[in-house]
Amino acid sequence: MNTFKLTFTLNGEVTEVLAEPSEMLVDILREKMYLTGAKKGCGKGECGACTVIMNGEAVNSCMIPAMKAMGAVVETIEGIGNKDKLHPLQESFINEGAIQCGYCTPGVIMSAKALLDKNLDPSNDEIKEAIAGNICRCTGYVKIVNAVMSASQKIKG
Amino acid sequence: MKTFNVVGKNIKRNDALEKATGKAMFSTDMNIPGMLYAKVLRSPHAHALIKSIDTSQAEKIPGVKGIATWGNTPRELFNTSATMTFTVPSMEPVLDQYIFDKVVRYVGDEVAAVAAISEKVAAEALKHIKVEYELLPAVFDPLEAMKPEAPIIHECHAGKNIPAEIVKFGMGDIEKGFAESDIIFEDVFKLPIQKQAQLETQAALAQVGSDGGITVWSTTQTPHPSRMIISKIFSTPQSKIRVLNPPYVGGGFGVRIGLSAKAEPIAVALSKLTGKPVKIVYTREEDFTSSDTRHGGYVWVKLGCKNDGTFQAMELKSALNAGAYCSFSGETPGVLGAMGLAVYRMEHMSYYGHSVYTNFTPSGAMRGFGNPQAMFAIEAAVDTIAERIGMDPLELRLKNIIQVGDNWCLPYTCGSTGLAECVEKAAKVIGWERRGTLNEPGSKILRGIGMGVGTHCSNAWPFCVDYDNAIITVQQDGSILLAVGVPDIGTGTSTTLPQLAAEAIGVEMSQVNMTFGDTLTTPFDIGSHASRTLYAAGTAVVAAGNDVRKQILEYAAVVMKIALERLDITKGIIHISGSNEAESCEGSGICRSGEESMTHISVRELVYHAHLRNKQFIGIGRTIPPNSPPWHAHFYEVEVDTETGMVKVVKVAAAHDVGKAVNPMIVEGQIEGGVLMGVGYATSEEIKISAKGKPLHTSYHKYLLPTAMDAPEIHAIIVESNDPSGPYGAKGVGECGMVLSAAAIGNAVYDATGIRFNEIPLTPERVYKRLQENKK
Ligand code: FES
Ligand code: FES
Repeated sequence: MNTFKLTFTLNGEVTEVLAEPSEMLVDILREKMYLTGAKKGCGKGECGACTVIMNGEAVNSCMIPAMKAMGAVVETIEGIGNKDKLHPLQESFINEGAIQCGYCTPGVIMSAKALLDKNLDPSNDEIKEAIAGNICRCTGYVKIVNAVMSASQKIKG
Repeated sequence: MKTFNVVGKNIKRNDALEKATGKAMFSTDMNIPGMLYAKVLRSPHAHALIKSIDTSQAEKIPGVKGIATWGNTPRELFNTSATMTFTVPSMEPVLDQYIFDKVVRYVGDEVAAVAAISEKVAAEALKHIKVEYELLPAVFDPLEAMKPEAPIIHECHAGKNIPAEIVKFGMGDIEKGFAESDIIFEDVFKLPIQKQAQLETQAALAQVGSDGGITVWSTTQTPHPSRMIISKIFSTPQSKIRVLNPPYVGGGFGVRIGLSAKAEPIAVALSKLTGKPVKIVYTREEDFTSSDTRHGGYVWVKLGCKNDGTFQAMELKSALNAGAYCSFSGETPGVLGAMGLAVYRMEHMSYYGHSVYTNFTPSGAMRGFGNPQAMFAIEAAVDTIAERIGMDPLELRLKNIIQVGDNWCLPYTCGSTGLAECVEKAAKVIGWERRGTLNEPGSKILRGIGMGVGTHCSNAWPFCVDYDNAIITVQQDGSILLAVGVPDIGTGTSTTLPQLAAEAIGVEMSQVNMTFGDTLTTPFDIGSHASRTLYAAGTAVVAAGNDVRKQILEYAAVVMKIALERLDITKGIIHISGSNEAESCEGSGICRSGEESMTHISVRELVYHAHLRNKQFIGIGRTIPPNSPPWHAHFYEVEVDTETGMVKVVKVAAAHDVGKAVNPMIVEGQIEGGVLMGVGYATSEEIKISAKGKPLHTSYHKYLLPTAMDAPEIHAIIVESNDPSGPYGAKGVGECGMVLSAAAIGNAVYDATGIRFNEIPLTPERVYKRLQENKK
């Protein structure tokens, strides 16, 4: 098979991995890097469960062919915080009950992070817009929107 | 009122940290060495005989390790649903599925499955399996399917294409009731097929050991019943099978009560054929076409009322679309009737309902389980009657709702109701008094407010087998392990059940850990469905907690030389009731000495004291749950755009009598999620079907479910009636948020437009058409 060496920055580390050109970033992350935080809910760019941040933008990693990730800077849920030092979004999602089944959670948090990275003072509508591509079937989005709002307050200080 | 230390608090979810950091394991994340990947060949036809299957070309593809068809898999009939596997007598279980059959009965039915070294290779192999079909006539509407000329989908004893039984019950004399009524409303309502659309598709990973032992990691909501079904299919003792969640499940909403569609048996069959672990993950399209949906169909209602607003009689009928296999089609019409007749007090009631096989995706369990269908019809009837007799629909409801102790159709008593309080609180939040004053003449946007009231169950007993076990083992270090066989499908059970255990024993939440969703580490439990987990499994947890607490206190009484009745446990300290327990004795030395002066001792130290004397405390709870109705009142404010027909829900006030909110934040989350799913049901969600039986909505984009942009302002209001039967007063909540949305949104749209829609979803096309007709 015509594999190629994919070089990109993953969660701050320069990473090399053999990939097929047709392979999607989500599968590289999940199957080859064992980073299963990004979920696959549809594989067609319709649910947002696979959202990661690539070059500063939230993207559906199931729609990014490996080739396109060449040289890119990719951030996944695993890279933005850990149990000892949570990202304020992770903290708010935990504290404010924004997580139920949790399958959408990594994707929602990454979409929200991409927003807050650019806009620390988002309105309710801007938050809703930023996560409009992330389907959550459990929460009704109420506590998710609230959690993003309070994380933005926290980051602003 | 009793004060609680742990119950009633917004304790952070035990699963939240893992889920927020991307570490939480789901079935789709599972990966074990040597694992193969499975793909399924599905029927393109709605009804056909398989004349031949040729897998020889597919087998030659490098990387293909095994192909399963009807010819090399068990010919053992089963039903993917948990309850049909062990229905309560006198109902007969309906077993109408094989893993693969020689007949396909809907577009998406399983024909064969391939295990290969990658999903890609497996998918490629499917293209090389040659199947010869002989087409059979197909039928898609439940009423058509009952006609003599309709094709037989399965042989049935209850009537043409009617699975299980026709459900009939009632009370009083329905004819007399209508004869005594001043006003009668009668109409038929049509309901769509809705999809759970949970975020994690059906998935399983199976590993068959050389001793024939089977391990299955899967997305099931009911590990123990799933194990029973797998045991039957593969003629393997239950004690050699382990079914577990990994431990998390990406949502359920009813879609995997029992097997996860056929993910588990297909994975096991292929693992047996290949000798390798086999993983199967349904694509989103497969999840849509080939896993259970909500029942669509027809509901008839006839409601009789006195001029003063006293309800006299109600007749309810249903014919639901079962789809191609029975699944929950025996129980759903039963719950539709039972819940529909349980809301209002009247002397005369009757119900007649059943499902009908059609050549479409099987219908099964989905949040609300028949209840939303019933209430869409009933609440339209109530509003119509209110208008005819000139009464406020809110007042009409308050006048007629069931009260504690009222005679009703259910086989258990109504032990509590906070429904009147729900109505009052939610009416205030929505601003009910504004109703009728919302529209300026000539406005292009019409506003309206509508309401509905309803109930549900807190488990499935006595309709289905329903019992729970819990084991609490106090470890030698004083930490506590709670074992319950329910999963956590996202509803927070891995937090709330430990809360109950901590409260019952008298320890801190942090002292309790829980194993769940695993048949090997937990005793039998029926699982998570029917809004039952907290109420029913919780009853077993409290029983186990009380048991262990008693053992600890009995032992402590001897050690401390204090009468048992004088002792209490608070926050992990055993102390004399009424004394200041906060002052710990740890480290003081007296804990171990057994001196007269000992007034308190930590559970931790007592447990170790016992361990040194060859004793461990193990509490057991084995309970058959009572049952109790959770009540709810929903109010919706809508805007109808007369130029587009678009119905927009702008505000929702949803008040729920949950008995006691063990963790209010989790309860609110359940209500909010249910409400939005209900908004989708009422306004946009539907799986339609082509003339040839092909489902037309098979992806998230085609199937319009609400996104954050569509989410209205939702006010979840908690009412606590402190149910006498539930753990610390709690009742069910999981399904209730979903029950009333179609009903109340239908009423709100009527309030806005004066048009009564007897069919949902209220899509722009449907609404616009009627608005235009109305103008004429
Ligand atoms: S999996 Fe990528 S958008 Fe759904
Ligand atoms: S928490 Fe389950 S889908 Fe969002």
